[in-house]
Amino acid sequence: MPHDETSGFRPHDVTMPQLGMAQDAGKIVSWLKSPGDAVSRGDALFEVETDKAVMEVESPADGFLTGVSYGEGEDVPVGQVIARISDSAEDDGAPAPEPAATGKASDALPEGHTVTMPQLGMAQDTGLLVNWLKAPGDEVAADDILFEVETDKSTMEVEAGRKGFLAATLAEAGEEVPVGDPVAIISDARPEAPVARSAKDGGAPPAPAAPVPAGKDTTEAPAKPAAAAPAPKAPSARGGRILASPKARRLALEQGLDLNRLAEAGHPQPFHVADLEVLRTMPSPAPASAPSETPRRLTATCAVDGLSAFVPWAAETQGLAPDAILAGLAGASLGADGSVTVVVERLGLTRSFSVPPGRSLSAVAETDDAPALIVRDLRGTPISTVALGSEQTPVLTVTDAAAGLVITLECAASALDATAAIRLLTEFAGRMEQPLRHLL
Amino acid sequence: MREITLSQAVNEALAEEMRRDETVFILGEDVAEAGTPFKVLSGLVEEFGTDRVLDTPISEPGFVGIAVGAAMTGARPVVDLMFGDFIYLVMDQLCNQAAKQHYMSGGKLTVPMVLRTNLGATRRSAAQHSQSLQALVAHIPGLKVALPSSAYEAKGLMKTAIRDNNPVVIFEDKLMYQDKAPVPEEEYLIPFGVANVKREGRDITLIATSSMVQVAEKAAAMLEKEGIDAEVIDPRTIVPLDEATLLDSVKKTSRAIVIDEGHQSYGVTAEIAARLNEKAFYHLDAPVLRMGAMDVPVPFSPALEDLTVPTPEAVVENARKLCAGELIHAA
Repeated sequence: MPHDETSGFRPHDVTMPQLGMAQDAGKIVSWLKSPGDAVSRGDALFEVETDKAVMEVESPADGFLTGVSYGEGEDVPVGQVIARISDSAEDDGAPAPEPAATGKASDALPEGHTVTMPQLGMAQDTGLLVNWLKAPGDEVAADDILFEVETDKSTMEVEAGRKGFLAATLAEAGEEVPVGDPVAIISDARPEAPVARSAKDGGAPPAPAAPVPAGKDTTEAPAKPAAAAPAPKAPSARGGRILASPKARRLALEQGLDLNRLAEAGHPQPFHVADLEVLRTMPSPAPASAPSETPRRLTATCAVDGLSAFVPWAAETQGLAPDAILAGLAGASLGADGSVTVVVERLGLTRSFSVPPGRSLSAVAETDDAPALIVRDLRGTPISTVALGSEQTPVLTVTDAAAGLVITLECAASALDATAAIRLLTEFAGRMEQPLRHLL
Repeated sequence: MREITLSQAVNEALAEEMRRDETVFILGEDVAEAGTPFKVLSGLVEEFGTDRVLDTPISEPGFVGIAVGAAMTGARPVVDLMFGDFIYLVMDQLCNQAAKQHYMSGGKLTVPMVLRTNLGATRRSAAQHSQSLQALVAHIPGLKVALPSSAYEAKGLMKTAIRDNNPVVIFEDKLMYQDKAPVPEEEYLIPFGVANVKREGRDITLIATSSMVQVAEKAAAMLEKEGIDAEVIDPRTIVPLDEATLLDSVKKTSRAIVIDEGHQSYGVTAEIAARLNEKAFYHLDAPVLRMGAMDVPVPFSPALEDLTVPTPEAVVENARKLCAGELIHAA
């Protein structure tokens, strides 16, 4: 590109301006100057159409219009050199390379003008090539429709843009082509070997959304392999899904209640919080799932009933209540570090005592707390042996023997381990035989 | 305490704020000398003159645009939009200009404007003068929306709106203008974003706006006779929304019905119900129900028009079903 060093004139490129924020290309509507024309800075050179408007593009300098490389009707990517303002009309301007002439696609492609995928909407990244209306090798006029493009809004026809021959098709029907990528080449001369390619094996980078392999079966290809692999079915729960309110589900979870039992009992769904009451009153299922939960039952024999002599003495001299004494002796037998609550059951009456650590029976006081231990006093009844099974709280049952007392400890295996159970019963039996030992 | 109409309450709020702050002025159609819409503004032009009570031409976009500009330049305009339905005419002034100036000026501009308008059907005004369009406004960030449910509420919320530095749209129910309620003589303001628990209850929460608060209260009284203890809450402002009070109530009662006179689909009731579902899901013992106006143009026929809005009887029926654990929407 010669330019006159002595005059200091440097040729100016005329490029496709960006006229909108989301514009990738502009279409040259018409040329207002001809190659070789003398132009002044600010003269309108050509008109560009974007999706919003038609604008005039002005000459950036005084000089001559040369190197015009795009004709009317052509879409030109933003920034692409369209022409040159030179210091002489003869300068051929050495136009910039065609947009398609990049990458491996151009290797064996015919010479000519490239028709690219137009941007038909502001937010459009690709266009779906619906079908070709011309075949490779066909002669075309500038306003002949080459192919149809479908975007998210509509289907549009794309014209050849110039007279010539369809020398190459670079995408197949059904393919997604990125905006600005080459789709066809129009040559001036009749091509010797017109080219038909898929966008996949063409120069354009493979369209991300193109799901089909290149080949003749592009239209039937999809969906068949998928049919061979049936979608996995959701595992069906027994009796189907239970209908229950979110709150009912949450409370059931928090309280360890099984809504399946309500469903199995035929209780009407959906379940609400009120239905949880029904669930609570239903009989517990058989504890078949707890083989290790055999309750513990231990018995001890006291040769002497020491308590019967101790209680009247303690009541008279210390002002202690009989039940508080029993609770105090039992509570101390647990050997706990803190206060424990002991319930004493006698003659159908129940009293609950808080037993502090230490040996002071006078510090035993009534309470409402949940018990850690129950003492069931069956002295004076005909019952001699108990095997009632474990309850929520360990139970010490005191019964009369021919001479002395029998004390039975029953509890769940989880409530007291074997060592603790033996220790508790031993301590309590010792205190029952000789209560004064407790005070020593 | 003395009782005054909602109309008088609004009038008092405007007069008090205009005496307190000389930048407060009123503009709109027929606000000064032609009788004033719904007679709310009677007497104001006599006290404050035509400089502060401005009759405008019949051009809603024009006078709302003037108000936005006046607000941006230091005044506190109260625009009178004769019918809530005319909001469609001022969408650009309201939603593109008033709502966004503070944001787009980087906080340099404020738009302390109040748009006074109305909502409510059953006035036999037909489809173009009966709509309740608060959801449209509440959808736009930058606009506050107040829905007074009584004369007391109308006065307190109006005074707060005038003193707020943001654009506020107040929808008064056009059927409530002559409703009386106790309103104190002494000054008071009602803060935005603080819901009013009108009635406490433990079985179901009725969240209601504007005149629907009366509907909910009537329903609650009917439900009480059936042994259902309903709580009634008036959010007062839907932007900002006092979410905490609504959530606390629903966590207590486990059931809720949301009642608003806008169309049910995509409406105020839908928004509140969605928030309850999102934030109190594990406390719900029944689906949250929406009760809005039927999704039809408001009919002119009185018999048909009355069918399109929530009634106490319909609220009772729904509340009864929710409390009985009936399957409202089959899975």
